[in-house]
Amino acid sequence: MIGTGHLTAYLYLLVKGALVTLELSFGALILGTAGGVLLGLLRTARTRPLRALPLAYIEIVRSTPFLILLFFIYYGLPLALNADIPAYPAAIVALSVHCSAYMAEVVRAGLQSVPLGQTQAAAALGLRYRQIVRLVILPQAMLVMVPPTIGVYISTIKESSLASVIGFVELLGTGAAIRESNAGRNTADVLGFVAFCYFVICFALSRLGRWLERRSGGKTR
Amino acid sequence: MLYLLFYALPVGLRLSALQAGVLALAVNSTAFCVEIFRGGLSAIPHGQYEAAASLGLRRVHAFRLVIFPQLLRVVFPALGNQVISVVLGSSVASVVGVPELTYETLSIGSITFRYFEIFVLAAVFYIVAAQAISLVWRAVGFALGAPRSAR
Repeated sequence: MIGTGHLTAYLYLLVKGALVTLELSFGALILGTAGGVLLGLLRTARTRPLRALPLAYIEIVRSTPFLILLFFIYYGLPLALNADIPAYPAAIVALSVHCSAYMAEVVRAGLQSVPLGQTQAAAALGLRYRQIVRLVILPQAMLVMVPPTIGVYISTIKESSLASVIGFVELLGTGAAIRESNAGRNTADVLGFVAFCYFVICFALSRLGRWLERRSGGKTR
Repeated sequence: MLYLLFYALPVGLRLSALQAGVLALAVNSTAFCVEIFRGGLSAIPHGQYEAAASLGLRRVHAFRLVIFPQLLRVVFPALGNQVISVVLGSSVASVVGVPELTYETLSIGSITFRYFEIFVLAAVFYIVAAQAISLVWRAVGFALGAPRSAR
């Protein structure tokens, strides 16, 4: 029952779908990373209420399945706001929110991995809090943050496939539509190719992470 | 990846939605668990194996009595995170029509059209489940003497 013949006919559509997946996930990664860094910095802030707020956000987002988040934004929010939210922005926002919560934890862990002595030494040199974070802690924390960041990115790209559920046609959506139009017959190769595309994207990303780690002179694990 | 399995698997084999869902979650989480245990094993010093061997323990005994208890302690927090991520990942099974929480939420929503309230409620269900697991896991981990969870 291995399907044949459909792959070449649909190759163009599938590659287009893959590009949409890349666009969707990279948009979400940029927004999510920006949000995550901000939240992560807040998590290590000195004042207590500033720390508690991102904690609540992180715990809620990380304890909610991505699909629920996506449905909430796509189906729930338009009713509450009385506005229409198309699938594309809904998917980007949901992915960004998801990504930012995980990134925030990565940033927090990275910042906290820098020994306290570094902060004290910087303070002894007369640097102010902002300068300490920017000049002393962040450069060191970045090294530690590379591998887990790549992990979050990969899982975000994989989660982006769920955008097809709300009718957004990206890579998986394309594959599913092709399957549908052939009534599910002989489309194993098409779905296999879809899986292969995700693998290529994620594998390339993890290689990039390795390379970054080596180039920045980090400890190789 | 999980989602791909749902669609790709029934092509060759006729599986019910629930069977496909369980299988896909199992395959997916196996890969992550392998990594967790591999990391855990590499965290155990080599001297432990040598000490066990010098006490005259055979390999099976050495693993069961010396290595495994330490391994369990090391991997425990990571396993907890994995359990939670499987519970949250199970929501994806709704896509192939397994009548679990997300699926039911969606169908109630489509009847009543009160998507906002119903999805907040579903999120609360998941959050309570995840936090409860994490709480119990931490308590058991504390009893086992496991290192503190990252979560």
